[in-house]
Amino acid sequence: MVDLFAAGLFAAIQPQMLLLIFLGVVVGIIFGSIPGLTAVMAIALCLPMTYGMSPAAGMSLLVALFVGATSGGLIAAILLKIPGTPSSIATTFDGGPMMEKGEGVKALGAGIVFSFIGTILSIIALVFVAPALARVALSFGPHEYFAIAIFSLTLIATLSSGSMTMGIFSGLVGFAVSTVGIAPVDATRRFTFGMVELNSGFSILAVLVGMFAIAEVIKVAEAGRAGSNIRIMAPVMKGVKGFGFSMKEFFEQLPNGFRSAAIGIVIGILPGIGAGTSNILAYIAARSRSRTPEEFGKGTLEGVVAPEAANNAGIGGAMIPLLTLGIPGDAVTAILLGGLMMHGIQPGPMLFVTQADLVYTIFAALTVSAIVMLIVEFYGLRIFVKLLAIPRHILLPMILVLCAVGAFGLASRIFDIWTVLGFGILGYAFVKAGIPTAPFIIGFILGPMAETNFRRGLQLSQGDYTGFLTNPISGAFLALAALSIIWQIWSGMRKRPARTSS
Amino acid sequence: MAKSRTKGLVVGATMLLTGLIYFLLAARIPGSGGVDASFFPHMLSIGMILLGAIHLFQSWRQPIAAMPQEMSGDIIEQARGAAEDEDAPAGEMAPDYLSVVLSLLLIGFFVLLMRPIGFIFAASIYLFLQIALLSPSGKPIPWLRLALMAVVVSATIFFLFRYGFSLMLPAGPLTPFLS
Repeated sequence: MVDLFAAGLFAAIQPQMLLLIFLGVVVGIIFGSIPGLTAVMAIALCLPMTYGMSPAAGMSLLVALFVGATSGGLIAAILLKIPGTPSSIATTFDGGPMMEKGEGVKALGAGIVFSFIGTILSIIALVFVAPALARVALSFGPHEYFAIAIFSLTLIATLSSGSMTMGIFSGLVGFAVSTVGIAPVDATRRFTFGMVELNSGFSILAVLVGMFAIAEVIKVAEAGRAGSNIRIMAPVMKGVKGFGFSMKEFFEQLPNGFRSAAIGIVIGILPGIGAGTSNILAYIAARSRSRTPEEFGKGTLEGVVAPEAANNAGIGGAMIPLLTLGIPGDAVTAILLGGLMMHGIQPGPMLFVTQADLVYTIFAALTVSAIVMLIVEFYGLRIFVKLLAIPRHILLPMILVLCAVGAFGLASRIFDIWTVLGFGILGYAFVKAGIPTAPFIIGFILGPMAETNFRRGLQLSQGDYTGFLTNPISGAFLALAALSIIWQIWSGMRKRPARTSS
Repeated sequence: MAKSRTKGLVVGATMLLTGLIYFLLAARIPGSGGVDASFFPHMLSIGMILLGAIHLFQSWRQPIAAMPQEMSGDIIEQARGAAEDEDAPAGEMAPDYLSVVLSLLLIGFFVLLMRPIGFIFAASIYLFLQIALLSPSGKPIPWLRLALMAVVVSATIFFLFRYGFSLMLPAGPLTPFLS
C-alpha cells in the first residue's frame, strides 16, 4: 500500500499535475467562498476541460476543486456571516461574532488550519478503510448491491432537508427520470417518444448542471433588479503572526478538532448526508463537551474549529463509498462519479484491482490539494476577500454560458444544452415547491443500480424474492432501510403532539 | 397561512398528477407481466401517487398549523432555514417572475441561435442582455463596457475551449476563417 501511495504521490507532484491541483484549489475556493456558487458548479464547469486529459490528471483537478470548495465556504461564513456553502453553516455562528470582536484573522486562521487537519485525517481514513472495504465488496453480488442502493436511497430521502414525503417523492422522481432510455437486462425502449437522442437516457452531468447550476441562475433572476448590497468587512491583517493564533490555543483545540473530524468522516461515509449536516453536529458536540458552553454563539474559537474540521473531514469519508461501491453520498460526489465515468472508469471494488495506480493517485492528489489549500487560502486571503465583491448578476450569466459549453461538450449536441435547461427549470420548480433536490440526484444515480441488480438477483434466485432477505448482507441493509423509515415516521409523530400542545 | 395551505394543495396535486402521467406512460411499455422493463416504472408511479395523496391530505387537514416545516423542530433544519434566508439577496422581496420568464426566454434564444450564428455571437448577445436585465435598478448601466465585456468573455471561452481543450463549439459564420 505504501509503495502504491508513494507512486501516486510522485505522479501528483509532477509540474503539470501540481499546476492543475493549484488551479483546482484556487477555483474551488472562489466557488466555495461566493454564496450562491457551489462545489457542484465548480466541478461541472471544469469537467469539459478534463475531456482531453488523462484520467489521473482529470481526477486530480476535480478532487482539488472539491477540497478547495469545501474549505472556501469559511471565508464568507466568517467575513459576511453568510455560509458560502451549506457545509459552513455552523461556522457563521461563532465566526461572525469573532469577526465583529476584531478576531477575524484568528477565526480564519483556525478555520483554515483545522480544515487542513480535517482533510488529512479523512484521507488517512480513506487510505486505510477503502481498500479493505473494496476487498469485502468484491464478493458482493446483485442481491447486496440492490439492498445497498435501496438503503442509500431511503437514507437520503429521509434525512435530507424538508419533509420525508417530499424527500421520498424527490428520490422517486429521480429514479423515474433514470428509467428513460433502453432498459437494463432486456433492452426494452422506455419513454423515448421515438427520439434517438433519448435512447441512452439522460447524462448525469446534464441533470446535475441543470438542477444545481441553472436553477441557481434562475433564482438570481427571481431577485430581479433589486440587487444585493452586501457589505464586506476586511479583516485587520496588521501585526498578525502566523495563522493568527498561539501554539497554546492550537493544542487546546486539538481534541475538539479530532472529535469533529471523526464526526465528519463517519457522517461523510453515510450516503445521503454529508458536510452540510456534519458541520452542525460537530458544532453541537463541541458545545456539549466544552467547559465554556455559554461562550458559544458569542465568538469562541471552538465554534469555528468544530464545523471546519468536520466539513473537510467529509471529503475523505464521502470518497469511501464512491470509490469502493460506486455510491455517491451527495451531489458533489455524484458529479465526481460523473467525471470518473466520463473517462470510462467505473468506480467499484474492481477499481482497486484493475486501476490501483489511479486510485492511489487520487489519494495523493487529495493530500497535495489539502497542502495547497492551506497555503493558498492563507496567503491569498486578501484576493479572495476582493472576489466576494463581484456582483452575482455578472457572475451567474457567465456561469450559465460555461454550463452550456460543458453540456455541449458531452457529445457535441445542442440537444444536451436543451436537456440542461429543462432540468434547470425542474430544479427551480423543486425549490419553489419545497422539494429537496439531493434525493432526486441520488435516485437518478442509484435507480439504475437498484433496478439492474434487482432483476439480475431475481434471475439468479429463479424468481424467488426471498433471496434478498435470506442473504445476510442484503437482508441487513434492507432491514436498516426499513428501520430508517420507521424511525422517521415515529419521530415525526412524536413531534406533532408536542407542537400542538405548545 | 392560507397561502401556504394553497401552496401545499397545489404541490400535492402536482405530485399526484406526475405519478398518474408516469403511470399511464409506463402502461405503454411492452411487458411480459412479471418483473420486466415496466415493473419499476409502475412501482415508482404508484409511490408518487401515494405520496401526492398523502401531501394533499396533510395540506388539506392542517389549514392553520405551520405545515410546510414538518420537521423544522430540530436545530439542523433551523440552521438550514436561516442559511437559506440569508442567501436570498433581497430579504422579503416578492419574487420578480417577469425577470425569470425573460431570462428563460433569453437562455432559450441563446441555445437556439448557437448553431446558426455561432457561439461567439450568440453568447455575446445573451450575456449583454442577461446582465443588463439583472443589473441593479437605480444605477445607470455602463452599456459600452457591458458590450465589450460580453464579447471579450464569449470570445475567450470560445478560443480557450477550441484551442486549449479541443472542444469545437459551433463557429457559425466564422467557420471559413478558422483552422
